[in-house]
Order: sequence, then structure tokens, then C-alpha cells
Amino acid sequence: MKALYRLFLSTQVTKGRLIGLLTLGAVALVLGFSIGTNAAADAIDDGTILISAFGLGLFVPVATLVFASSVLGDPNEDGTLVYLWLRPIARWRIVAAALAATLTVTLPVVVVPMVAAAALTGAGAPLVEGTLIACVLATVAYAGVFTWLGLRVKRALVWGLAYILIWEGFVAGAGANPSRLAIRANARSLLTRISGGPHRLIEVSAPTAIALPLIAAAVAVVLTVRRLTRQDVA
Amino acid sequence: MIVADGVSKWFGDVVAVSDVSFRVGPGVTALLGPNGAGKSTMLRLLCGLTRPSQGTVKVLGEDPHGDPELYRRIGLVPQQEAVFGTLTARRFVRLAAELQGLDGPDVAAAEALRGVELDPEDRRPLVTYSKGMRQRVKVAQALVHGPEVVLLDEPLEGLDPRQRLHLINLFRRLGDEGRCVIVSSHVLDEVERFGSRVLVIAQGRLAAEGDFHEIRNLMDDRPNRLRLRTDRPRELAAALVVSGAIVGVQVQDDVLLVDTTDVGAFRRAVAPAAKATGARLHELVPLDDDLESVFRYLVARQ
Repeated sequence: MKALYRLFLSTQVTKGRLIGLLTLGAVALVLGFSIGTNAAADAIDDGTILISAFGLGLFVPVATLVFASSVLGDPNEDGTLVYLWLRPIARWRIVAAALAATLTVTLPVVVVPMVAAAALTGAGAPLVEGTLIACVLATVAYAGVFTWLGLRVKRALVWGLAYILIWEGFVAGAGANPSRLAIRANARSLLTRISGGPHRLIEVSAPTAIALPLIAAAVAVVLTVRRLTRQDVA
Repeated sequence: MIVADGVSKWFGDVVAVSDVSFRVGPGVTALLGPNGAGKSTMLRLLCGLTRPSQGTVKVLGEDPHGDPELYRRIGLVPQQEAVFGTLTARRFVRLAAELQGLDGPDVAAAEALRGVELDPEDRRPLVTYSKGMRQRVKVAQALVHGPEVVLLDEPLEGLDPRQRLHLINLFRRLGDEGRCVIVSSHVLDEVERFGSRVLVIAQGRLAAEGDFHEIRNLMDDRPNRLRLRTDRPRELAAALVVSGAIVGVQVQDDVLLVDTTDVGAFRRAVAPAAKATGARLHELVPLDDDLESVFRYLVARQ
């Protein structure tokens, strides 16, 4: 599995992707700094909204989509998957290596700038802790979902963006019950509970907010293994 | 070692392989057919990359789809050119060796690369390799674990004549060692050099199978049609019929369409016949001398 992990890691990290995503990370730092230096701002509320809107609403899902949808999706589309598939290794190991590589790349790319942005807002340790936990949770959940999507559909990036905009965007704002079905709403609720941010952002109980994204990730992993086992390979 | 029994594969409305049955044992077997005949689909079925819509495939007694353990004993050179372009040849082949669970994967990779006349110390990434070099890397990754069954999809494409000869000898050696080697090709002369058993596949169907020379004779025995343009078509047609060099003729204005089962005899007869009748020959064109028509003939005679 180490060999697969190293391979996925090497195919994931490209200069273009890193530059694009590090730029988004830099934007988060600038926004955090602007809140921190604005004396009139409510650091906790504004900081929580920043992390929720920019981090959980845009940066985390998009960055995870870029890496996760390509980790198995690219080899599947360009035909190199055959060099992994036609080997005496359990399919779950391929998926586990792909997920591990995705998280290895994505977590630092999204968590470090978002935690730094949270620190720059001056809202204190609760927002930093909340950002860390919510971002890690959301990244893990999205990684599972988008790895499956990459294997399931062609042009997964487009489908993933549509999912982020339509499902995560609308469902997350559609009231307490429907919003449980959006990873973003669960992560946002957890973030706000920990940071002490605006109560209107809390729509889901803490255990649910932790459990549902993890369940989504687990279900997606099962579907990915199933797909990899059953699908035709080019 | 490989048994296909009534295998069909369709993708939506498109039938790629239709009711194909054969058995293949140790040695080199060529899978011959024109482009789009279903060769690649057949190879994909044999190594489990896709499942038959109908029928069964057994490789070494097992269903090749869904049993990863069987892949310890199978090596495939896929048709697509794509490889992991950022890796070096050695890392690519070592990856295959590692995934096959070999001890000493690095040594095995270097040996496999030397076996296809590539330098294991080459530090360039595969994306910089020529098509022929990439093709040889693909062969090395398929052979690195010493599989009992080797499936090669057009492995000689992009190679220069010397490299072709080297790989043909390599495949023959593998066959002589008792491995089951199936090589697909659409080039008749290439297949001839394998000196092997042949499965001819055309339009998704098994058109012929057997020793290459039998197939070659079958192909050579087929009626050939030629178009001949002359100023005295009727006289020339009569003379050719009398000569016995043709088995049929149609006259259309100044054109003769002649059918012959012996092109050599026809060629020898046509000039004397023209001279005897005082006919001028303006054109003589074989109409079905390409490989496609050979395959069509084989399918039609089934």
C-alpha cells in the first residue's frame, strides 16, 4: 500500500494546483487579518462567519474536490488505472491509499491557512480550535465523497462544483432538518459551537454534526470500493 | 490455460465480440484482425478488465474478473499509450513489481527493463520517452513478475524493425518456456513472424483459427477480383475464360471484372490473351487485395 500511496501522492501534487490553492489560502489570511485589524469588528462573530463562508463554504470543498476527484478519476479516465487494477491487491487498499494521499495533500493546504486566518482575526483559541476541528472533519467527509465522484463520473470537477454550489449551497441554508444532509452545515454548526459565534449558524447538535460527515465519508468509501471492484477498466 | 466459451460483449447497441469460443494453451498465439474487430475487447475480457455480456472466460481455471489473486499469474500490455508520465521507467516497473508483491522489486525492475533493451539507470521521466520506448516499458511491467499468462495488445506498434525483432524473439522465448502468450495484431506479416497459432477475429466474430500457414493458405485460396480496362472487352473476356485463368467475368462497357482463385496464373495469362485478341490493356487493378477484404472473406465463408 506504501507504493500506491507514494504514487498517488506524486500524481496529486502539481505546481498549478498548489499555486491556485495556496492563492486561495492567502486570500483567507488577508481576510482574517482585515478582521483582526478592524477595531469595530466583533472578532468572534465575524471570524466565525469568515471561516464558515469562505473556509467551509468555498475553500475546503473546492480544494478537496481538486485533489480527491482526480486521485482515482484521472487514472480511470486516462487509462493508467489498469496498471493498479490488474494487480493482486484488495480494492479497498487502492481506495485507502488514494484517500490517504488526498488527505496528506489537502489537509495542510486547507487547514494551515484557515487556522492561521482564524488566529489572525484575534477571536482567540476557541475559534482556532473550532476551525481546526471543523476543517479537518469537512475535509475528510469531502475527500470520501469526491473520491467516489471522481471514479463515478467523467468531468468530476464540473459535477463536484455543481454539487458544492447546488447541494451544499442550498441545502445548508434550507433550515435545521434539511441542512443535516449538507456536510457544510454540520461542519459550520460544530465550528460555531466551539467558537461561540452567532447562534443562527448552529442548526445541528454536536454529536450529529460530528457523526453525519463521518458517516457520509464511510458510505462514500464503501461505494468507491464497490465501484472499483465492479466497474469495467479501460 | 485460457478457455472462452460462447463469449459475447456488447456496449449498449454496439456488439464488440459475438459468440466467440476458443481454447489457448502454452506457446504464442496471435490474435489477428483489422482495427475495430474486437481484439482489444477480447483481451480485456481475458484479463478480467471487463465482464462478458454472455458466455464465460476462464484463465488458469478461474474467472479473471473479481479475483485479484489471479493477477499474480497474468501480465498485460494494454493498448493505450498512457503511463504514469512523471515516473522514470525504473520506478514505473518497480511499482508493478511492488504491487505484485515481489521480493527485491528494484532488482526485478532493472532486469525487466534490460530484457526489453532499456537502460534502468535512465533518469528521464516517461513523458519524455518515444512511443517505442514507452511500449517497451509497458512490456517490462507486464513481464516483471514472470506471469504464466501474458496478454499483449498491439505490443509492436511504434517500434523500429530491430526492436520488433527483439520483442518477437522475446515472446517466442516466453512461449517456448511454456507460458501462454497472446499477442494481438492487425498486421499479417507481423503475425507470420511469430510463427504461431492464430485466432482471426473480424467484426467481433472468430473468423478462423489454427496454424498460421493454414490460415495463410485459406486467405490465398480465396477468389480475388480484379478490374481490367481494355478497348476490346468481350474478346479479351472470352480469351481469358478459354485460358482457364479466371472463374468468372462481368463485362461493363470497356471494363472487365474478373474473378480468379490464382492471381499468379491470371497474371501470366492476361498478356498473351491481350496479344492474341489485339486488345490494349489500359488498367489492371486488384479490388480486394487489402487485409480488410481478407477478413471479410473469412467471416463470409463461415
